[in-house]
Amino acid sequence: MNTNSNTYTVIYSIILVVIVAAVLAFAAMFLKPTQDANVKKDTISQILTAATFPGVEDAKILDTYRQEIESAILVDMDGNKVADLDIQDCEVYGTSDLKRQIAAEQKALPVYIFKNGITVVPCYGAGLWGPIWGYVGFEGDLKTIKAVCFGHKSETPGLGAKIADEPSFAEAFVGKQVGTGDILFEVAKPANRQTENNGVDAISGATITSQALGKTLNQWFGFYQNYFAKNAAECFGQPCCEEVAAEEVVEPVNTVEE
Amino acid sequence: MGNIKETFLNPIFKGNPISVLVLGICSSLAVTVQLKGAFVMGLSVIIVTGLSSLICSLLRNTIPNRIRIIVQLVVVAMMVILVDQVLKAYAYSVSKTLSVYIGLIITNCIVMGRIEAFALGNKPFASLMDGLGNGVGYAMILVIVAFFRELLGSGTLFGFQVIPQAVYDFGYVNNGLMILPPMALILLGCVIWVQRSIQKDLQEK
Repeated sequence: MNTNSNTYTVIYSIILVVIVAAVLAFAAMFLKPTQDANVKKDTISQILTAATFPGVEDAKILDTYRQEIESAILVDMDGNKVADLDIQDCEVYGTSDLKRQIAAEQKALPVYIFKNGITVVPCYGAGLWGPIWGYVGFEGDLKTIKAVCFGHKSETPGLGAKIADEPSFAEAFVGKQVGTGDILFEVAKPANRQTENNGVDAISGATITSQALGKTLNQWFGFYQNYFAKNAAECFGQPCCEEVAAEEVVEPVNTVEE
Repeated sequence: MGNIKETFLNPIFKGNPISVLVLGICSSLAVTVQLKGAFVMGLSVIIVTGLSSLICSLLRNTIPNRIRIIVQLVVVAMMVILVDQVLKAYAYSVSKTLSVYIGLIITNCIVMGRIEAFALGNKPFASLMDGLGNGVGYAMILVIVAFFRELLGSGTLFGFQVIPQAVYDFGYVNNGLMILPPMALILLGCVIWVQRSIQKDLQEK
């Protein structure tokens, strides 16, 4: 057979492409559930890390989540609850869901409240080479950071990638607080920071990733600002609640006088 | 049979794709920061080179000459995507560290080079062996380079701490340069140097 004729070449390439496409489509469909489960598990393990349950074994991630979570809800920009996330099904918002919320008119922002009193909120933004994201666990005052877990798609190994794999970077967040006003949180060197307790040191050599992380945190803390303000009721003895606390104390005194 | 053995062993030492043919340098710089990544990358390349050489060799008499490069590319791309999908499903954490580099096996000159130079003119079994041999040769260099980079750059091997804390207490620090690609190139140079001083016939006059 003449393998150099035009007809043969065209028919050959058509058959080849159809076969290859069929094989790949079959493989993709067959493996899709396992892959999705992996991505979800990875997300949940990051949320758990931010809720101070780091390094949970792969097989136990879903069970630990079901056990420790109190409620998982979606809130809007005003801080009002708009929906519930299914806890038994371990429904969480992955990176693609988070990305959609940034541009969305009506935002639905996930909040994960754990039984140990820690509230975890996510963030998502652009790093140097690709997206970066993270989960921040707050104490009951919704102001003080208890634990964080950051992730990235393709930051420089050894430099920007340290946001995810350098333990001391994550530790620096512990005990820091979300500020008020324009700057809610900063990631910069101490000399460039405007506040003492509302930021952490940047990573040397990874200026752009650090700045991007600061910007991302600032943006997402902004999204949640109203939720934080409305739900941080249980004072916790923090200065932020002094005004509210003072009013509450005054009332009973008045009744006694009457 | 001796011939087949030679086909398999030749690319591992004498005709090593990285150190002698200087192919696939790019990916060997990128994935050798940690031993685990290098290991999985090596394994993936072994599978891709082996199986795509086999498939192309089986098809060799039917492939129209004018589109043979495209046919090879389609076969290689199919294998690479399959490997990528399987890794994402069953070795998610590794697949996350290797990120784009698995996909970039498609552009690895070793795969196309061996198909074009060997598989199209030889029987399937010999082609399979040649593909596997080249994959192993590539993986071997990757593992050697990654061993030194991880040991000196992070003080770990396969993620386990091997340099004891006591050494750090004496003032030893990990070499940050080892984590960056330039050091991989220098290490690769050292590997080539060692190999050429053992096999004198490789030295250029």
